Amino acid sequence: MIAAAPNVSLTLSNQPENVLLVRETLSGLAETVGVDGVELNDIRTAVTEACNNVVLHAYEGGEGPLQVELYLAPAAVEVVVRDHGTGIRPHIRSEEENALGIGLSIIQALAPRVEFKDVEGGGTEVRMEFSTPGTEALAPLAEAGFQAPTVTEAALATTTGLALAPSELAGHVLPRVMCVLAARARFTTDRISDAEMLADALVSRGFQSGAQQHMTLSVQVGTREVELRLGPLGGGDAGKLIANTGAGIGPVVEKLTDERRIASEGAFEMLELTMRDKR
Amino acid sequence: MTVTEMAVSTATRGPRFVPGTSEEQQLFARHQQGDRLAREELVRRFMPLARSLARRYDRSSEPFEDLLQVASLGLLKALDRFDPEMGHPFASFAVPTILGEMRRHFRDAGWSVHVPRGAQERALKVRDAQERLANERGRAPTVQELAQYLELGQGEVIDALQAIQAYESLSLDAPRPGATDEATSYGDAMGEEDSRYELVELDATVSAVLGRIPQRERQILRMRFVEDLTQTEIAARVGISQMQVSRLLRRSLDQLRALTDTKS
Repeated sequence: MIAAAPNVSLTLSNQPENVLLVRETLSGLAETVGVDGVELNDIRTAVTEACNNVVLHAYEGGEGPLQVELYLAPAAVEVVVRDHGTGIRPHIRSEEENALGIGLSIIQALAPRVEFKDVEGGGTEVRMEFSTPGTEALAPLAEAGFQAPTVTEAALATTTGLALAPSELAGHVLPRVMCVLAARARFTTDRISDAEMLADALVSRGFQSGAQQHMTLSVQVGTREVELRLGPLGGGDAGKLIANTGAGIGPVVEKLTDERRIASEGAFEMLELTMRDKR
Repeated sequence: MTVTEMAVSTATRGPRFVPGTSEEQQLFARHQQGDRLAREELVRRFMPLARSLARRYDRSSEPFEDLLQVASLGLLKALDRFDPEMGHPFASFAVPTILGEMRRHFRDAGWSVHVPRGAQERALKVRDAQERLANERGRAPTVQELAQYLELGQGEVIDALQAIQAYESLSLDAPRPGATDEATSYGDAMGEEDSRYELVELDATVSAVLGRIPQRERQILRMRFVEDLTQTEIAARVGISQMQVSRLLRRSLDQLRALTDTKS
């Protein structure tokens, strides 16, 4: 393990369309640190195999969580793909040259270091380390008390949870994630671009409010509707986030969203934003 | 069909179902003694494996046929180097050999330094299709509509949308953020139109900052955030693509944020 806390943590369902979301996240990460085409392709290919295994085999045809974590270390990128399913190790280990066998061969051929682990309480974790000469480590998600974004089992089918740090990485990753999710909500390209602009605005101000060293949010996708829940934020920070994203030309966040709510959760605040495509 | 499904079908069609002791081993034995027919049969049996690996790189830059050719070359190398006596299944040896061949091909093609041409062409196709469909329907298309129209995967369309933001920056004449003298000259040239449409109530700091944004960008910002036009409507008025409007909006908002941060 190269760091205690990741730079990106994704909580997804194991639906096939989420593999694309993971791939776009990797592209955003590569863009941040300047990983080149061949290296990025290796990482994307190996991680796609690991995710496809979770999509197809972890829950015996059913649905369940797919967790992906990205770590940026000096000259290395580590990716963890985790499920809480029935465990794919027996299949992987078997001598059968099945799909998993080929997937595993691909992962092993492309990632210099691979580790398979059982997850406590059931499931499998695939940990892949890729060497990326010249890249530097980024400050990880706040290590103390970091928790992967929580999405309830019931909400998982429509909701994506993510946590990101630091802001330069979030600036490359969040707009891409929003692009994928807005596309999934059947937004037009106009509105997809608005969703990316909203992501830009949130990243540029999200890291300034309070003592936030990272950004945690969940995004729920409906039909022509995307709902973001950002937080937990410190008291008063949600309001500041709306007010401060104006970039000098007025309330940009207000223009880009259809609804804005600030909900309190104990001592914390959640900022809830709804975007629709009314075309 | 997903890549993994392909791999599944490859595996079920492949020689796996032949018990280890039999046909496959005999073929390898005959191949090692120089039997060309056995080699051909092995190629035929394992070609689906090469194909499924080539498929995995198919959304990159190279035409699929080229990728398949490189993968096939890798398969031939693997067949010639494989030692059945080691007791491992052939595929576990073949996969890294084939992938190695493909990666060498990418490196040799200088793929790591250049913007992949295929991806660039695809991005331009997506941009053109966006304009055509927007014209036909009077509204911007969805990714699903673009994918269907261009017979591409949704992932490929999304990749293209992302790529356009990167490529067009090379060809645009607009001044780059931070190029102060150019920005000032644009600020001086603030047109009459701008005074007719006030953006919002601006304090002195913000006006000064806005003055440093090129006029065309200011107009686009105003159309989107004051007049409430869609990007497609703005694109039609200004005579550029919606993707370009998107890029300019994102860039100028970024610039504004950076400038207001410095001021405050």
